[in-house]
Amino acid sequence: MNVDFVLQLLLNGLILGLIYALVAMGLSLIFGVLEIVNFAHGEFYMLAAMGCYFLTAGAGFGYWGAVVAVTAVSVCVGFVLYEVLLRRLGGRDFERSILLTLGLSMVLQNGALYLWTATPRMTTTQYTYESVVLGPVQAPLVRILAVVLAVISFVSLYLVLHHTRVGKAMRGVAQNRDAALMVGIDPRVVSRLAVAVGVGLSGVAGAALAPVYSVHPLMGFAFLFKAFAIVIIGGLGNVAGAAIAAVALGILESLASGFFSLVVVDGLAFVLMILVLLVRPHGLFGGGVRV
Amino acid sequence: MSGGGPSNKDTLFAAQGLGKRYHGVDAVADVGFEIERGSIVALIGPNGSGKSTTVDCLTGFQRADAGRWWLGGRELTGLSASRHARAGLTRTFQNVRAFDEMSLLENLCLGAQQRDAGSWWQAFTGGPAERRAQAKMEARALELLEMVGLDHYAEAPAEILSYGQRKLVAIAASIMARPDLIMLDEPVAGVNPTMINRIEAMIRALNADGVTLLIVEHNMEFIMRIADRVLVLASGRLIADGTPDEVRRNPEVLDAYLGRSRAPHAV
Amino acid sequence: MRRAPALATLALAIAAALPFLIGDAYIYTLGLTICVFAVLASGLNLVYGFAGLLSLAQVAFFGIGGYGTAILVVDHGWSMGPAVLVAGVLATVAGLVVAYASLRLSRHAFAIVSLVFSLLCVIVARDWVSLTRGPMGMPGLPSPTIALPGLPPWQLSGPRDFYILLLVYAVAVLLLLYRVMRCRIGRTLLAIRQNEPLAQSMGQNPLAYRLFSIGLSAWVTGMAGGIFVFHLTIVDPSIFDFYYLETMLIMVVVGGPGSFWGVLGAAVFFSAIPDLLRFSADLRLVLYGLVLIAAVLAMPGGVAGLLRRRRLRRWREARR
Ligand SMILES: Nc1ncnc2c1ncn2[C@@H]1O[C@H](COP(=O)(O)OP(=O)(O)OP(=O)(O)O)[C@@H](O)[C@H]1O
Ligand SMILES: [Mg+2]
Repeated sequence: MNVDFVLQLLLNGLILGLIYALVAMGLSLIFGVLEIVNFAHGEFYMLAAMGCYFLTAGAGFGYWGAVVAVTAVSVCVGFVLYEVLLRRLGGRDFERSILLTLGLSMVLQNGALYLWTATPRMTTTQYTYESVVLGPVQAPLVRILAVVLAVISFVSLYLVLHHTRVGKAMRGVAQNRDAALMVGIDPRVVSRLAVAVGVGLSGVAGAALAPVYSVHPLMGFAFLFKAFAIVIIGGLGNVAGAAIAAVALGILESLASGFFSLVVVDGLAFVLMILVLLVRPHGLFGGGVRV
Repeated sequence: MSGGGPSNKDTLFAAQGLGKRYHGVDAVADVGFEIERGSIVALIGPNGSGKSTTVDCLTGFQRADAGRWWLGGRELTGLSASRHARAGLTRTFQNVRAFDEMSLLENLCLGAQQRDAGSWWQAFTGGPAERRAQAKMEARALELLEMVGLDHYAEAPAEILSYGQRKLVAIAASIMARPDLIMLDEPVAGVNPTMINRIEAMIRALNADGVTLLIVEHNMEFIMRIADRVLVLASGRLIADGTPDEVRRNPEVLDAYLGRSRAPHAV
Repeated sequence: MRRAPALATLALAIAAALPFLIGDAYIYTLGLTICVFAVLASGLNLVYGFAGLLSLAQVAFFGIGGYGTAILVVDHGWSMGPAVLVAGVLATVAGLVVAYASLRLSRHAFAIVSLVFSLLCVIVARDWVSLTRGPMGMPGLPSPTIALPGLPPWQLSGPRDFYILLLVYAVAVLLLLYRVMRCRIGRTLLAIRQNEPLAQSMGQNPLAYRLFSIGLSAWVTGMAGGIFVFHLTIVDPSIFDFYYLETMLIMVVVGGPGSFWGVLGAAVFFSAIPDLLRFSADLRLVLYGLVLIAAVLAMPGGVAGLLRRRRLRRWREARR
């Protein structure tokens, strides 16, 4: 076994984990603030990746142009999603919220399949053939850029949640809904922003990943599996917990893929989730939102 | 019964050193008391003093951080809520609850079922024993509905009831299982005077039947009329324990209700 | 709804007479699809409509039953009857593990974990080649023989035979579920769904009731899968296709969670229409998604809920 191989696996795992984190944090944030599990979350990630493909392949966008456009559109989609659908659900309608977002996911996924078929597509940008040498390992530039995008998103999320009024309100609602509502926070503003930020994060994830892997209409669906497991492992509604669990899972999976068969790699998330539920039901880092 | 527990044969219920913290703040701290068999004990205190939390912990709805408690010599500490009920300790909730989509009769029968009805297999096969048990529960439910004057709504879904009527149904449901001790969380709050009289009559009838009660309430008149003994909580601590008259004259109690600015001649 | 039992008896009489009347394979295929979905939807109704748990693992139970039966028959030489029973038990065990692990946390966790479990099953079916033969699945399942004591062995071949078998199975399961839903157990489940703390204060143990409903539902769903794959003559990862789950959900949500007849009616309706609306499978699921969204927004209690609200109005008027 050689060291470079392991380092390469670690790097891949880190990238994968950061992408997981982007999706899982959005999911966790939406759950923390609205108590809604967004089953359509993976589809927004898929649509962002598909959007990135079409912008670069069809509309002549460069890498950064596509990333910015896709992210901006995702945030808007989040606003619309909240205003049109999620707003209609009361706080105690947990099962209805699942059915609603599941219905949405069926529409988006099967609509995408109908329009674009299941054929995987490769996104090429100006950076596709460049790579970076980091000591003993070499990495394609688009992977490094994915890491950069993820880190930028984490930092902005942190700044929003800790240094803006509405961000603090968001944390307040997530920590103690009733108390927050009593001190006069408008739940609608906070919820809308949470959904917009959550969907926006999955937009960034889709855009960052599109140039790295192939894109296809079923990619969101497969991804959701991991994102949900991560959210449970990190503690339902715990955004920071989700981020840590995501990176850890990405690295573990990548290491496992070097030595075990595919089933083991993909089953890892599930097994870890069940173990966490049995041993620490509230997640490794406890439930309730901590950001 | 090891290491403590009720000291006396007449004691039905005993709690020692009960504690519960939320987010690092004591909601209830070191609360202990005993309840004599056949008595009506009131638990009073200002808003947020920990009354509901005490009831929640002692009935298994919240996990207590400290303390032990016994019912009729049997330790219940740490058991689940449903086991508390099965051991003979039931309760009502401050925010009244009912099975909204079910009829009043079904609501009440559910209260008795754990005690009066047989196994799941018996329920599934529905033989004569099951029918007998069902008939017995329905007869008692109707009797109770009559007592609270709601028998003409026996088949109506609970969600059409008014607030006060729901409180009556909740109390009736909590006694269906013939518990030894019932804890009522604010049974008359927000209820009009006629209905209060009805609830009072019901509580007295129950008590005459040998049921022991712990009543959390803000309505002092009601408490003074009905309680044999009053416990007072303030900021999660038990500050007084005595007959209604003693408690009424206790300066610390007035203090707790009127805030920190203690007037020297408050009595 | 009051006439539903009479209607159902009539429908059953017609369904039972069919094999003596026509020889059209298309009708039998449609008929057996209805039977399968009646079982799947009623199984979900027990878990969601009664126990209040949105189980997204139903499709996993169906597939586990299918794969389990096929593997037992092909690789281990079992006959179909015991294989179906045991595969059903396998689905039950899976359901109990998922439910026990997640219900200690919350209903929310249960929904999420059940979905993750379904996705895991797809992955295992596809990637655990030594067990499941991978993406190609196990084609060419033998046509099974059923040997009941006192009767000549019955070799099932063709849609007509499977229609008869599945009709018998569906009727048995529906009778079982009907009984469970209507007796004290069903009432207690409804009570727990409506107000869990209140049910606990009456001495009911929600976890026991919920595990029971999941276990029973997984068992009947798994056995349906076990029989169904022999009709298909192949089991491959598409048995875990979310198409099944989404169809079940639509049937329960539109029919009315908690209503035996409402869900049964919706199951018949939605199994029959795809054949009437013959267009692309993708578009059909888009349509189903829209129906699901519309049903959740416009009629939370499904068709049965609308009827119930009418009854409630009558009581309210009587009160005045
Ligand atoms: N679930 C909870 N999470 C956090 N804090 C809680 C919770 N439940 C109660 N508390 C806090 O514990 C303290 C005691 O509350 P409790 O409901 O027991 O008071 P109470 O005496 O019943 O008041 P009231 O008369 O208003 O019903 C309060 O400060 C309350 O804010
Ligand atoms: Mg209270």
